[in-house]
Amino acid sequence: MTNMEREDGTTRDDLVQRVALMEAMIAEGRRNTGRFGWIFILWGLVCLIGIGESYLLPQSYWVWPITIVSGFVIQFIGIAMHRRSGNWPSENLKSRSVAAVWRMMGIAIILYAAPAGVTHTIHQIAYIAAIFMFLGMAHAISAVILRWRAQGVVAGLWWAGGVATYFVPRNYVITIYVVEMVICMVLFGVYAMWLERRRAVALELHHA
Amino acid sequence: MANFEADDGTTRDDLVQRVALMEAMIAEGRQYTGRNSWIFVLWGLVDLAAWAWQSYFWRFGGRWAWPICLTAGVVLTLAGKLMQRRRQGYSSNDLCSRVMAVWGMMGLAMGIYVASAMWTHFDWQFSYIVGLLMMFGMAHAISAMFLRWRMQGLVAAVYWAGGVAIFVCNSGRATNVIMLFEMCIVMILFGLYAMWREPNGSGCKGGRA
Repeated sequence: MTNMEREDGTTRDDLVQRVALMEAMIAEGRRNTGRFGWIFILWGLVCLIGIGESYLLPQSYWVWPITIVSGFVIQFIGIAMHRRSGNWPSENLKSRSVAAVWRMMGIAIILYAAPAGVTHTIHQIAYIAAIFMFLGMAHAISAVILRWRAQGVVAGLWWAGGVATYFVPRNYVITIYVVEMVICMVLFGVYAMWLERRRAVALELHHA
Repeated sequence: MANFEADDGTTRDDLVQRVALMEAMIAEGRQYTGRNSWIFVLWGLVDLAAWAWQSYFWRFGGRWAWPICLTAGVVLTLAGKLMQRRRQGYSSNDLCSRVMAVWGMMGLAMGIYVASAMWTHFDWQFSYIVGLLMMFGMAHAISAMFLRWRMQGLVAAVYWAGGVAIFVCNSGRATNVIMLFEMCIVMILFGLYAMWREPNGSGCKGGRA
């Protein structure tokens, strides 16, 4: 094929290079999600433990605050260890964008959940549905940026859970919550980490 | 200044070019937001119309005010986007695509959330209203990070502050006032500001990413 040149001076090679760069950025963004897959697992477990504790200690007001704060402490320690190990991922535009999505979602959830907890509004159905919607929205934006179908499915599952919360009898809301946490948090985290691990092994074999 | 070369062979000119490209992408992203900010104005007016209908003209099918106005808003947005696309071509810059992803996914999430809550009559709960404001704030905050746009970051903070204030005030009257302020006034003012700030953008035609 000839190396045609467009009106703006862009050659075919330029376009091929740009596509390759975009693909590399997308792959790097997915890898970074895999490297931080443990955070999904951590928060899935934190939420499941919180539910278990509030089932065992229904009168205790401090179950959720203590569990959530413990989650943050573990996450910060994990990130500090990650950073110290020298295994901190390289950052490109897409990775930074995805990081921005998760950071802003984190802030939104904290600003939503903390006052709701203090004002005892967390028993409302819309509270749970909104949290599912936030998580679905973050996954959906990340899925579009990284062109990642599996993450798009997870976004769909979060949203489906949010809708179901409104429609099912109140007793089943807790079941939906547990199912979402197991599938969309823990299993997705494991899946993302497994993908990253598989890639790392393939890379090692390639270099060997 | 000398044209130094880094370890990986990147020259100063390369870096200057990359920075220029990033700045151009950010400028295009903001222009894209400016070109589409009529949607903020439209939705501010839609919310205002629904609120006024429900508050002052309840006898004229007031309980249908929100479903009708929201559906009209969706139809007008889609028609407007279609006309805009026909006139200006399709956007393909990478940063614009990311901003589009944010608003597109927010719209989808919001549509699902609002429709389900209205259908099941849970739309009176405080946490429902706060959820809306938090989602708007989240979309603005993400877009502000992408576009390094302080004003949009401020708008995000205003939405989030409104959400927190609803929980803290814990009263129907305060919720109405905050909702009116956030969903109508902030939305319209930001839309007008973005239109004024980025009026003649080239949009995002022709991928430059």
